[in-house]
Amino acid sequence: MESGLLANLALGFGEVFRLQPVTMWGVAFQQVPFNIIMCFIGCLLGTLIGVLPGIGPIATIAMLLPATYALQPVAALIMLAGIYYGAQYGGSTTAILVNIPGESSSVVTCLDGYQMARQGRAGAALSIAALGSFFAGSVATLLIAAFAPPLAEVAFKFGPAEYFSLMVLGLIAAVVLAHGSVIKAIAMIILGLLLGIVGTDVNTGTSRFAFGVPELSDGIGFVAVAMGVFGFAEVITNLEQKEHREIFTKNVTGLWLSWADFKEAYGAVLRGTTIGSFLGILPGGGALLSSFAAYTLEKKWSKNPETFGKGNIKGVAAPESANNAGAQTSFIPLLTLGIPPNAVMALMVGAMTIHGIAPGPQVMTERPALFWGMIASMWVGNLMLVILNLPLIGLWIKLLTVPYRYLYPAILVFCCIGVYSVSNSEFDVYLTALFGLLGYVFVKLECEPAPLLLGFILGPMMEENLRRAMLLSRGDATVFFTRPISAGLLIVTAILLITILSPKIRKKREEAFQEE
Amino acid sequence: MKIRNMKDFLAGLMFIAFGAAATALAQNYNMGTAARMGPGYFPTVLGGVLAVLGVIILMESFVVDGEGPKNISFRPLILVLLSTVIFGVLLRPLGLVLALFALIAVSALGGHEFKWKEVLVLFAILASGSVAVFVYGLQLQFPLWPWSN
Amino acid sequence: MKRLAIVLCTMFAAFAHGQTAYPSKSIRLVVPFPPAGATDILSRDLMQRVSARLGQQVVVDNRPGAGGTIGSDLVAKAAADGYTLLMATTSTHSIGPTLTPKLPYDPVKDFAPVSVIAVSTNLLVVPSSLQVNSVKELVALAKAKPGQLNFGSSGTGTIVHLSGEMFRHRTGTDIMHVPYKGTQLVVPDLISGQISMLFDNIVSAQPNLKTGRLKAIGISSLKRSPLMPEVPTIAESGYPGFEASVWFGVYAPAGTPKEIIARLNREIVAALHSPEMKERLAILGAEPIGSTPEEMAHTVAGETAKWARVIKDANVRID
Repeated sequence: MESGLLANLALGFGEVFRLQPVTMWGVAFQQVPFNIIMCFIGCLLGTLIGVLPGIGPIATIAMLLPATYALQPVAALIMLAGIYYGAQYGGSTTAILVNIPGESSSVVTCLDGYQMARQGRAGAALSIAALGSFFAGSVATLLIAAFAPPLAEVAFKFGPAEYFSLMVLGLIAAVVLAHGSVIKAIAMIILGLLLGIVGTDVNTGTSRFAFGVPELSDGIGFVAVAMGVFGFAEVITNLEQKEHREIFTKNVTGLWLSWADFKEAYGAVLRGTTIGSFLGILPGGGALLSSFAAYTLEKKWSKNPETFGKGNIKGVAAPESANNAGAQTSFIPLLTLGIPPNAVMALMVGAMTIHGIAPGPQVMTERPALFWGMIASMWVGNLMLVILNLPLIGLWIKLLTVPYRYLYPAILVFCCIGVYSVSNSEFDVYLTALFGLLGYVFVKLECEPAPLLLGFILGPMMEENLRRAMLLSRGDATVFFTRPISAGLLIVTAILLITILSPKIRKKREEAFQEE
Repeated sequence: MKIRNMKDFLAGLMFIAFGAAATALAQNYNMGTAARMGPGYFPTVLGGVLAVLGVIILMESFVVDGEGPKNISFRPLILVLLSTVIFGVLLRPLGLVLALFALIAVSALGGHEFKWKEVLVLFAILASGSVAVFVYGLQLQFPLWPWSN
Repeated sequence: MKRLAIVLCTMFAAFAHGQTAYPSKSIRLVVPFPPAGATDILSRDLMQRVSARLGQQVVVDNRPGAGGTIGSDLVAKAAADGYTLLMATTSTHSIGPTLTPKLPYDPVKDFAPVSVIAVSTNLLVVPSSLQVNSVKELVALAKAKPGQLNFGSSGTGTIVHLSGEMFRHRTGTDIMHVPYKGTQLVVPDLISGQISMLFDNIVSAQPNLKTGRLKAIGISSLKRSPLMPEVPTIAESGYPGFEASVWFGVYAPAGTPKEIIARLNREIVAALHSPEMKERLAILGAEPIGSTPEEMAHTVAGETAKWARVIKDANVRID
């Protein structure tokens, strides 16, 4: 088995680094490492797209589809993969620098990452995000290489009942995210669930809470909510400061991780990687949960949970590692079942189809060069991103030293352009303004936005699975407890709930609450 | 009864409002049964729970002390939001460049100081940068000027 | 002086006519579905070849949302000058109108048909754990266990759903509909046996058929597919006339000049008849058609009527 794995990896890396004759602009070049170049272009494009908040998947995809036609399948897939991770890295960058999550999995990074940036530790935050992601990506790639087929089987054990229970667990865990009142956090989660319901109901096709507005028939866009509630609210409250105080302190403590930072964070990286690797295997939503779950776990296990949300480096290391590990392992359901975890990956399925490759387990046996080339390119892509991003950190830090009064209009410009470009609709821009207002109100009333966003993302999936589970069991609600995995998840949820609500913990919370 | 925690009082009211609105709106949709939940089932339950939580928070606000909302000044709030809305309104008729100008100028008014020279320089940089990166670089579809189709 | 005027006018007329020969600029084909989906890939494949024939770029513009109705509405209200076209399909023009009474467009009056591009059909697949190997056996099992078998779909009102409803009605079985957000999402639950059957795209089903996780027991076209000739049609398995396929066709806004439509039709049909195009379509599980505008109107009307009957019989409603 070992030598088989090594042989496969050798095949893969050989494919990635392969020199081939290429004709460009009428000139025939002989020995061009074309696939590597495609990987680099993908990573660059992806980073750019990820850093510009809101440039949506449709714009990206529509832009790239013609290119994927022209390229060979291996090159096309490698480029797309590069874009996928690049966007992830870029999304974390905006989360840390300007409190705007570029992707749904970067929401949690905002909590501590942005605070670290304000304290002059943006370099450390960005570094640990990059390094943690790279580590997690490497581990996850190895996992895929060695265990893809058996891991894919796990997906079959998860039916609607299991997904529902998993999401309930995720939502209760979201309460831990909040550092204030538990009841308000739960209320925010429920409000998020309700906002997620806006749109067309999967089961019956009914349009809910859309007030006849066609742009709402597919739901409220994540970008509008995230930008409004996180980004705009932050800008507005910053402008309210009575004293003319700079938001980002000029006292920047170094560009990189200090040894102390590293020692503090590496455990979180390991734990995050484990959680993300597992959750990413579940098709449709596993990767999203991984960053939330990793953060929650860190906070629960920490000796000083009240430092979370105020710039604790573990709060960046864990979710970043988790979401990258999850992003990698979510290739498993893609490659074995053809189920893409998000829109960019749907493009991958399309690209494979265009070239006549049906995604599925036979890809491994029928097109080994393609399959292992993709696996190898995952690792190479991660490496390239670290190489690309670490030097950029210096640039970002310089950017943060610009006086805020120049910075914030720039933030608004990029947000507005980004949100418009998602579906070429001004309605989304107005929606963002509305959520900016709501976000402002939330800040003033001390209601935390992160649980809301988690509820918003998970709500529709949770309802879909609840109804489907009930449909399949013909109304028998005990199905959630009779199926072993589902029961197990619910038991963990109950334990978590008890630890949250138990008097001792509650008193500790109230003390922490009053200290603020 | 004195309101001891204004933040929680208002938060409670907000949640009650959202919850009641959700439940009320959900009545327009089919409820179904627990076995075959209709589209109205889940939102009704959620809305109800939210409203109840809102009531609890409201009641707590009479009991537990807390500070009121601080630092409210309407100028940045209104101007930032207004600038965004204006951008949305002006984008198609007047094109990206002019809409960006409006966005930058109006939002700059929400800041501590407003100097025309700075605003114009900022506009020049951001507009040219945006057009270069988004329109030419990323090939996104934007009308640039009032006369662009 | 008069002669000069006449010459100038004639020259000008000739010049103007030459200048506005169609197409004189790029054409926009609105695809009301997300990129990289079947409709999108098919459109891009075809338009690459049509662009070459027309001498002008046909640009694909994705406008997804609301089941294809947002994009369709856009074209319905666009200028009828031949520079905006729509790639429509069964769900936008045959099923949509019946199911959604408040459509913002009229699928017949607001559009001028150009040509039916292709038709694709679905396989009836069941998990390998289900002890049936033919449609007959499936129906027998369903009748022996009423209410216990179910079928998955890509959503209420989709062709996958309505195929299942038609099946239920024709066979007289009591099977339950379980909607999902996309056919691929049904597959894990189908494989684990929680879902009993699915009308799946013939090409996407291949990997699981090859590994033996799923079995194909019927196909919903009237004739057997060259891709899987050993699979009998549902029609020949005891339900003559059973047919459920998806059509893809191009529309222009109503009022587009007849010459422009004729030109488009000519180029599209020619592009469709190339062997590469046949191959590209086969990859998606579709067969090229290339009909005339009149044939398209006829086909769509027939399909609309058929699905309207299914919808009525099965009492499918969107509240």
